[in-house]
Amino acid sequence: MSAAKAAYRRYLWRFFPTMLAYVVLVLGVSWLFDNRQAPDGPIGYALAILPALPIIGVIVIMGLYVVEEKDEFMRMRHVMALLIGMGLMLSVTVAWGFLEIYTHVPPLSAFWIFPGFCVAWGFASGVLAMAYR
Amino acid sequence: MKNRLRVLRAERGWSQADLAGRLEVSRQSVNAIETGKYDPSLPLAFKIARLFGAPIEQIFSQD
Repeated sequence: MSAAKAAYRRYLWRFFPTMLAYVVLVLGVSWLFDNRQAPDGPIGYALAILPALPIIGVIVIMGLYVVEEKDEFMRMRHVMALLIGMGLMLSVTVAWGFLEIYTHVPPLSAFWIFPGFCVAWGFASGVLAMAYR
Repeated sequence: MKNRLRVLRAERGWSQADLAGRLEVSRQSVNAIETGKYDPSLPLAFKIARLFGAPIEQIFSQD
C-alpha cells in the first residue's frame, strides 16, 4: 500500500515547501514595492517576477507527479482533473475576453488565471474522487 | 469490458484493499476496474491474470 502512495507523498513533500516559498516571496516583494524600496529598471522587473517562480515550480511538480505515479488509474484521474481544470479556466477567460472586447466588464488581471485554474482543478479533483470511490 | 475480478477476489476472501496491496495499486483502482469504470492497461491485466493464475481472457471479456 505504501508503495502505491509513494509518488503522491513525494508530490506533497514538494508542493508544500514550494507554496511556502511562494508566500514568503509574495510578502517580501509586496513589502519592497509597497514601501518604495524596490529599484526601477531590470532589477525591479526581476524582483516583480520572483513570486512567479515557485508557481512555475508547482506546475512542474504537477507534471512530475504524472510522470512518477506508478498507479495508472490514479495517474489517469490526475490528468483528467488537470485537463478539466484547464478547460474550465480557458473557457471562463476566453468568454471574459470577449465580454471585455464588446461590453463594459472590468478587465481581468492575468494574475488571476493561475489561482482560478487551481480552484477549477480542485473542483474537478473532488468530482472525480466522488465518481471513482 | 466485463471482468470477473469481484468473484475471483471473493473466492479468496480478499478485500479490495487486500487485492490492491497484492497488485501494488490503490484501492480506488481495484474498485474502478471491478465496476467496469476503468479498463486496466495490458501490463496490469497480465499482473492480475498472473496473481489469479488464470489467462487474461478468463478474467476479462468484451461487452
